[in-house]
Amino acid sequence: MAELAKPSAGSAGGTAGRGWFRLMLGLIVRRVLLMLATAIAISALLFFAVTQLLGSPAAMMLGQDASPQAIAALNLKYGFDRPAIVQYLHWLTGALTGDLGRSYTTQQSVAAAIATRIPVTLELSLWSIALAVIAAVVSNTIPTGRRVLQPVVTAANLIGITVPNFMLGVSLIFILSVKLDLLPSTGWVPWSDGVGAHLEHMIMPVLTLSAYYFGAFSIVYRAEYQNVLRRPFVRVAQAKGLGEWRVAFRHAAPNAILPVITFVGISMGQLAGGAVVTETIFSMPGTGRLFVASIESRDFPVMLAIGMLIVVGVVIMNLLADIAYAVVNPQIRHDL
Amino acid sequence: MRRPGLCFGAGVVACIAVIAAAAPLVAPRDPYASGIDMLVPSSALHLLGTDDLGRDVLSRVIYGARASLAIGFGAALAAMVIGVPIGLVAGALRGRVDTVLAALIDLFIALPGLVLALIITVMVGANLRNLVLVLGFVMWPPIARLVRGQAMALREMLFVEAARATGGTPLWIIRRHIWPGVLPIVAAQFATSVAFAIFTSASLSFLGLGIPPPTPDWGGMVRAGYDYLAINPWMSLAPGAAVSLTVMGFYVMGRSFR
Amino acid sequence: MTMLRIGRRQTLAGLAGGMLVSRAGLAQTPILGGTLTVGLSNEAKTYDPIFSVQFTERYVLYLAFDTLVKYGPDFSIKPELAESWDTSADGKRIVFTLRQGVQFQDGTPFDAAAVKWNIDQRLDPKVNSPQRQVLAPIVASVDVIDPQHVAFNLVAPSPALFSLLGERVGFMVSPTAWQQRGDAFGSQPIGTGAFVLKEWTRGSRVVLERNPHYWQAGLPYLDRIVVQDLAGSVIGVQRLLTGEIDYVDQLTPADVLPIEKRAGIVLKPITVGRWYFLQWHVNKAPFDNPKLRQAFAHAIDRNRLNEITMRGQGTISDSPTPKGLWWYDPDLKSYPHDPALAKTLLAEAGFTNGFEYTLSTPQVTVFQQVNQLLQEQLGAIGIKLQLQPVAASEWYARVVSGTTNLTPTRWTQRADPDGLLYILFHSRGFANTMKYRNEKVDALLDQARTVYDVPTRKKLYAAAQQQIVDDLPMVPLIFGAEYAALRAPIQGFEWIPDEIPRFRDLWKSA
Repeated sequence: MAELAKPSAGSAGGTAGRGWFRLMLGLIVRRVLLMLATAIAISALLFFAVTQLLGSPAAMMLGQDASPQAIAALNLKYGFDRPAIVQYLHWLTGALTGDLGRSYTTQQSVAAAIATRIPVTLELSLWSIALAVIAAVVSNTIPTGRRVLQPVVTAANLIGITVPNFMLGVSLIFILSVKLDLLPSTGWVPWSDGVGAHLEHMIMPVLTLSAYYFGAFSIVYRAEYQNVLRRPFVRVAQAKGLGEWRVAFRHAAPNAILPVITFVGISMGQLAGGAVVTETIFSMPGTGRLFVASIESRDFPVMLAIGMLIVVGVVIMNLLADIAYAVVNPQIRHDL
Repeated sequence: MRRPGLCFGAGVVACIAVIAAAAPLVAPRDPYASGIDMLVPSSALHLLGTDDLGRDVLSRVIYGARASLAIGFGAALAAMVIGVPIGLVAGALRGRVDTVLAALIDLFIALPGLVLALIITVMVGANLRNLVLVLGFVMWPPIARLVRGQAMALREMLFVEAARATGGTPLWIIRRHIWPGVLPIVAAQFATSVAFAIFTSASLSFLGLGIPPPTPDWGGMVRAGYDYLAINPWMSLAPGAAVSLTVMGFYVMGRSFR
Repeated sequence: MTMLRIGRRQTLAGLAGGMLVSRAGLAQTPILGGTLTVGLSNEAKTYDPIFSVQFTERYVLYLAFDTLVKYGPDFSIKPELAESWDTSADGKRIVFTLRQGVQFQDGTPFDAAAVKWNIDQRLDPKVNSPQRQVLAPIVASVDVIDPQHVAFNLVAPSPALFSLLGERVGFMVSPTAWQQRGDAFGSQPIGTGAFVLKEWTRGSRVVLERNPHYWQAGLPYLDRIVVQDLAGSVIGVQRLLTGEIDYVDQLTPADVLPIEKRAGIVLKPITVGRWYFLQWHVNKAPFDNPKLRQAFAHAIDRNRLNEITMRGQGTISDSPTPKGLWWYDPDLKSYPHDPALAKTLLAEAGFTNGFEYTLSTPQVTVFQQVNQLLQEQLGAIGIKLQLQPVAASEWYARVVSGTTNLTPTRWTQRADPDGLLYILFHSRGFANTMKYRNEKVDALLDQARTVYDVPTRKKLYAAAQQQIVDDLPMVPLIFGAEYAALRAPIQGFEWIPDEIPRFRDLWKSA
């Protein structure tokens, strides 16, 4: 990983001004185009695969009272009997103009269904990432108690990375909910039910989801932190007589944090998967659980919309992370 | 730090492999035999109690090692078979081939793995073969990227220049000079890949997309036991602990090779 | 409903529950007021009765709407919006006398014209209600005699009509509101019911509030009913214990283990269980072979199924009808568990080297358990079944389309024998996914559905059921055991055999 070059020091690759700006613009445009292409390609792939392999959802929508006439009527109403490509183009034109259609299972507007659930997933993800970053940075920066703290942190990292989050979640529920009756076993009550209640329900899901990233971020951060500690400006600070903690947290840490930030961007894709499992364990009304349900019930509009959302979201996060990294690190700009 | 890690990791892996292979000898009871004493917590007859069909949890956990190891190794192998050649070709041959392949790798790396695995598995159905293929498909990009990086680095080295100067074809160069340099990395990555495969397949099983019952399968067992945590917690916790330990073993072993 | 977040909440609840239990001996008069919170895995798609299909939708429909007649706890037909009825001599015309002074929740009057409109909508092919397929063969037309009297002109005498008028077909919708609201009616329904639907946040909850103009004086007692979405029954049990909800049902005998002896929680077992059976296509190979089907029937140990999946609290099923319903036949001859005989029959069927097939397994716990036991029992006689998991939401669609051949399934009972037996076993029954066709059975069912005399019908249905069991288009397995769990303050709850809880008459003691 390239070192963070301070803006005040004349850096070798630093191209300031318009040239740099044009480069960034080029990067953004390329990435956005790539994102659109990916989104369309994946939506087409999903659509065709699902319609070919799973067939029309009409009979499933009607349940145990389905009759051949009812199924035929539904096929007609939604156009399930039209060729796949026609259905897909119909969906695509709608999606590009903002109309994501209606859910086959609930008749509700897909956009509305997702809109009510996104805050849940976003909140869970943000808390989890924040906790993971803070915990990783703090636990690996603390200068004292190395002999006791270090093995504990290392063990915690290992557990976080290797224990699947469904196991963590189930264990937490068992200990804190079933046995000790300290926390509720579901992950969500609306804010209107009380701030305290809301946060209380979030504790276990956030712990579960953040565990893996705590481990992953720790590894990245620790490596970089060791590098930073060896740098001259740190020794200067130490020589000046500044306290250990001050050196660690105010001078070394901010420089070591950059790779973590990039890593956050890269982790977004995996986070989507982790959120799905966590939302399932804790019965949270988020997009992850809706996605799983929509796949099983062949609710194409919902499934495609969320699938697109995930892809777009992941690419955007990657892009932001790359931009953030490039902005503060002139030396790698020419590699973009 | 290397020694302890290697010992621990290899030890765990060896234990689990032995248990899986010798399951009929190690398991106290038939993992498929239902019984009338359902959801009994730990007892003399059943150390970890019974599940909702009266089957011995301990025996099922032991047999479950087979499915996990099979999927883990199978998927890691599949990922290698796809990822290594792509990475080699991309790294060893510059130019347009590399640009295209690199873009492809970047594209796939960005995709959310579990989500993709979920969608595909729901569509093609969950069984051993499909799971191996799907997971292999999800896992190849990081391997390809790793191999490509290493191949690129090797390519720049002097001896490759020399080989090219003496008229070696790309394929020969790859086989004779680049591949031996890449091999150690690949071998080290294999263990980590197995860990990841077991981790992800257990998550898929937990979401209901694992090997169909009644085959004992750790993730599926955690899922089934979730409803009965208050009655016999071992039904969930034991297979969950088994997954965690196995993943940990392979992961630590993989890391210690670096 | 505040959640008790103090440490020893269980002790507190236990104390409170103990005090209530000790007062239960005294007859209590209903108290007005309070909110009932129901926990439910709500799969509702619409609350428009004309289009309602999902089972859980009826939890709310019976609150927002009334039916023309209602079911007693023994499935007897009782007056509701219809006070009385007269059947003509030939049985083809029934005149209902409607209750007077009843209003829809939008203020419009409930009268014969409204009834006619409701039935016409369900019969109208353009409206395309899923109820048309059961109603059209029975009702030819509806006449308004005067605002208080409406006449049903039937295609043939039909005792089954009353059963239909007690459920989806009978929910009376406000014609004005339906026409006004169009597609939105499903989210903003208007009926004559005791509760008005105020809020529906999909995936979260439904809120209903007392209808101040309800026609039944003194009812409802409760101010408010909230139907809270749950991910599953286990979560429901936990939330019941913490007091977040007052009621949860669809609990299996295993689910209630942790709360069986808890003070403050009352368990209500269902009176008539869901019917579980194993079905196949009898019109083609391999299950067109009667000896193969009989081999299955004798190989299955239903006692053990009941012991393990229902903890012995269910009942063995020899026929579609459980004890407690008047068309139950105690003398029906069935298939005892006999593995040796099963092996012989399998060989006689031509499968001397065993038989292999795929068994569709919907991802519902009970079905998964049943299937694994079936696999074990049939495996013992040489039948190898491979379990094929299917997502619950997808499973029945596959059965209907014919893609799935061998699968377990389950049905709840209807108030009239024609209800279930016709749709499943008549060759024209819309739910006859077994492709079963027996002219003798058709004739018996056709005759039985046009006769009002109960003893006659009983004989006909006994003959039909015996024939069905002899033919084995399916192997009957068990009648399930299920529970509702309520917090002790909830009073007045009683199960109806259709397994849909009626919350209207409940009240909360202090």
